[in-house]
Amino acid sequence: MSADTLNLAAEGGGGLFTPGGPGFEAPSVGIFFPSPWADYNLPYTGGFNKYVVLLLVATALVALFLWWTARRQSVVPGRSQGIGELTFLFVRDQISRPMMGVKGDKYMPLLLSLFLFVFAMNVMGLIPFLQLPVTSNLSYPAGLAAIVYITFIVVGIRAQGGVAKYFKGAVVPSGAPWWILPILVPIEIISNFLIRPATHAIRVFATMFAGHLLLATFAAAGWYMFNPAAGPLFGTISVLFSGASLLAFIVFTAFELVIMFLQAFVFTLLAALYIGQAQEAH
Amino acid sequence: MEGSLNVIGYGISVIGAGIGVGIVFGMGMQAIARQPEARGPLQTNIYIGFALIEALALLGFVLAFAIQ
Repeated sequence: MSADTLNLAAEGGGGLFTPGGPGFEAPSVGIFFPSPWADYNLPYTGGFNKYVVLLLVATALVALFLWWTARRQSVVPGRSQGIGELTFLFVRDQISRPMMGVKGDKYMPLLLSLFLFVFAMNVMGLIPFLQLPVTSNLSYPAGLAAIVYITFIVVGIRAQGGVAKYFKGAVVPSGAPWWILPILVPIEIISNFLIRPATHAIRVFATMFAGHLLLATFAAAGWYMFNPAAGPLFGTISVLFSGASLLAFIVFTAFELVIMFLQAFVFTLLAALYIGQAQEAH
Repeated sequence: MEGSLNVIGYGISVIGAGIGVGIVFGMGMQAIARQPEARGPLQTNIYIGFALIEALALLGFVLAFAIQ
């Protein structure tokens, strides 16, 4: 559990079965706003806080992974190159090819780095004592979603040959009768250019946020219920309750790892889908 | 009783998304069972549908915290 969770749990530790003891305080949204260690003194910045440290760790992990797998390239792949090729082929065959076909292979650098980076940022939520997924702060996925947003608009304009052509193709569905267009065009504009980047960022953010809150609640509840000093009967019951909470914490941590992978996959999949849609003629 | 109406709103918003995700994966399983060789493209499409539906539930979750 994170340091904030520890502090939070320590306040209410062993409160169960203590007459007049503290009530259970569930972890609040405050754990997602760690106090900064240094301030940039710039408007709209949160300062140098835990998120920035974890972001640097995630970036270093991805860079190291790519350096390690790509440093000695040969026709017969060694162990490290094999792992790199496995990752690359997974992203290409499961994400890029089904969405864009062979045309999409030139976007593989973007997609592979997006996948690895989002996955690394999510997995930061499982590192002991630091546990806080970087993507549980909306700014980080929003930045990545903005990159994808700009990319698919630029790709669309280039592929369709002109700004007007691209936007016409994107917001005016072909084959629709003319009298329905006044309703359809605003809906298409809102869904394609406003809702789409927003949900792209919020999807991974909200999942990580909810998952981390769930784990923090299990950790805090387990600590709250741990009260062996409450007498032989109630002490045993409280330790059993606490053990159940610990078990749930471990099980849900494993479950979170699956969700983290799935969200990184879905984020990359949608990026490929958006670029692919912009690429093909309407 | 204490608490926030937002949580109830989130619960209601999740009903639709829950039904939707159930339909997507149920139908997806059925499609894979009927045609196992089409597993790859079907799986990709299942996850796209899942992601689009899940956005509704997650919007409800975020708004439950955002609107006080």
